[in-house]
Amino acid sequence: MEYSNSNPSPVKEYILSVLARNRAGVLLRIAGLFSRRCYNILSIVAAQTENTEYSRILIVVSGDDRIVRQVDKQLSKLIDIVQVDVLDRGRIVEREHLLLKVERTVQTSEKLVEIANVFHANILNVEPDSMILELTGDAGTINSFIELYNPYHVLRILRTGAMAMPK
Amino acid sequence: MVLTGAQIVMECLLEQGVDTVFGYPGGAVLNIYDALYEYRDRIRHVRTAHEQGAAHAADGYARSTGRTGVVIATSGPGATNLVTGIATAYMDSVPMVAITGNVNLNLLGLDSFQEVDITGITMPITKHNYIVKDVHDLAQTLREAFQIAGSGRRGPVLVDIPKDITGQTCEFERSAPLPPLPHDFPVAERFEKALEMISRAQRPFLYAGGGVISSEAAPELAAFAEKLDAPVACSLMCQGGFDQANRRYMGMLGMHGTNTAALAIKNCDLFVAVGTRFSDRVLCNAGLFARHCPIIQIEIDTAEFNKNIEVQLKVKGDAKEILQKLNEMLPQQEHTEWMDQVAAWKQEFPLIQKERTPHAVTPQQVMETLDRLTDDDAIIATEVGQNQMWAAQFYTFRKPRTFLSSGGLGTMGFGLGAALGAKVGNPDRQVINVAGDGSFHMNLNELATAAAYHIPFLELVLNNEVLGMVRQWQKLFYGHRFSQTDVDTATDFPALARAFGLKAYSIETDGQVEPVLREALAEAQKGPVLVDCRINRDVNVLPMVPAGASVESPILEMDD
Repeated sequence: MEYSNSNPSPVKEYILSVLARNRAGVLLRIAGLFSRRCYNILSIVAAQTENTEYSRILIVVSGDDRIVRQVDKQLSKLIDIVQVDVLDRGRIVEREHLLLKVERTVQTSEKLVEIANVFHANILNVEPDSMILELTGDAGTINSFIELYNPYHVLRILRTGAMAMPK
Repeated sequence: MVLTGAQIVMECLLEQGVDTVFGYPGGAVLNIYDALYEYRDRIRHVRTAHEQGAAHAADGYARSTGRTGVVIATSGPGATNLVTGIATAYMDSVPMVAITGNVNLNLLGLDSFQEVDITGITMPITKHNYIVKDVHDLAQTLREAFQIAGSGRRGPVLVDIPKDITGQTCEFERSAPLPPLPHDFPVAERFEKALEMISRAQRPFLYAGGGVISSEAAPELAAFAEKLDAPVACSLMCQGGFDQANRRYMGMLGMHGTNTAALAIKNCDLFVAVGTRFSDRVLCNAGLFARHCPIIQIEIDTAEFNKNIEVQLKVKGDAKEILQKLNEMLPQQEHTEWMDQVAAWKQEFPLIQKERTPHAVTPQQVMETLDRLTDDDAIIATEVGQNQMWAAQFYTFRKPRTFLSSGGLGTMGFGLGAALGAKVGNPDRQVINVAGDGSFHMNLNELATAAAYHIPFLELVLNNEVLGMVRQWQKLFYGHRFSQTDVDTATDFPALARAFGLKAYSIETDGQVEPVLREALAEAQKGPVLVDCRINRDVNVLPMVPAGASVESPILEMDD
């Protein structure tokens, strides 16, 4: 019998929900750990929780199953970290906030508004040559929204990164 | 009682039972050094020549005594000089608390004189670190630092204290040290599964790492080896964790392991690993390591499971507690045929270095003579490179905490400081630092410390005038292009040692090895001594597993 190292599972995106003591440098510790262990952070969102002594940090990581288990265990070793949960994407609500600035011309204006309406996105600002839109949704919705605007020359995108909460 | 921050530091050290610290004074720690003066009857401070030496001394003190080592340095360069020492302790899981001074709070962040962000710098090489910004937090922070350093998988913790914090006063109350942080004990199924795997095995291989020593599990490991009726190999970090005079001992496993261990891993049907992280120096090619048999790993740090290699059974917890339980549960196993086979391999493949020229000194002769002339509880520190491997291969380590070596980081210059720290912590034991001339050159300034404090120990320099380990790789893989490894310095080591105030001897022929070592060891009971031992530059460390090869296929011989 051969006990080979199991084949790596496919690379996916995982959402980690991290509860940390709200001490100076805790984000640096997390970011430093990711950097030196060569894990990829796709996005990170951090803020105080209902209890101001703690912060909740949502991290989207790309990697295979083995890597995400390593990330979980290495993070859990940090003294300031209280708990790490790898969220099951089927059992969470997931939200991300997007600001998108797109080029606007007389010819495209109507089309741009139409797409925004389809997504129930807000129009925050309109200038003669540009428009800023706002959308909240899961990663998939945000991605298709951006894709639809791409042909109209997107000038700038700002994404907050994913927030997620178990159901 | 109302105390200054600096006095609180002293009181917290006393709370922890600390009576010895290593360090170097400076501007930002003036208050702390003033308090050390006040507490000098209760806390001994050893000032090294350089902060790096102090960090290695605290490390050697910790490795040899099992107690947490303490090092103090000033801000800026004092703090950065600790970095290599802290990283060395981190890689080898050595409990250490480093206390650094920093500039006053209102000067932080302004690129002030001797200011450095040492908590930022040491984040990746400490278990945890702190900067104390309120004197009221100081005592609790120091207590936590000791708790973290000494709990679970041990390691260094740094506490950075701005100068004004050490001068401010606040109410202080003595308290007992915080209890160690709790760790898991495996659930019953893990033990049952382990017993089931063991009962199926005909040819078990028991492999021990540094965790056996840090959890004080050597007696349990010895008992387990008997019950399992298995041969034992140790990592570099577990030298002394298993009695090497025991017939079960096969030698090291890994890049410079024995051929017996290599043959045993090739033929075993169960691999039981205790207190080890499967470093790449042991695995060699991880994809080819023990792939024909299941692996049981006993380890306290969950993150070490399935990190470098996948294992079939993870048993998480303290090595001592787990081995105790296993020893209770496990019926006596019998593998006579397997043990006979291993004994035959040991017979067939001993470690041997041949003389290259008549009367030349071999490192093997030096280490075996040293072994014969020293007590079983003598402490052998090493530098890094060939000297380190020869010490591990040819000295018979019989007790835990007798071998002090930088395994994970591979820090040249580690051994001298570590040896001094070990002697300070173990005044009644013989201490020898086995060095190469390259490593010796790195931190030889600490001979000044040995002389100033009159620390009795032996600095044994295996002097081949080359950076031997790197040169060996150049021989094997770079077509004998000896780029920068022929040192050929004109340094007269005995004269240098005498200038520092040490006694010094030379060994040039095989006939001198025993008489000179005998005399030097006798002198090294009274004060610091150096022996300059000339060896041939072409002696290689063998066996050797070349990069990328399987641990089962070491090179046993190579050309000069």
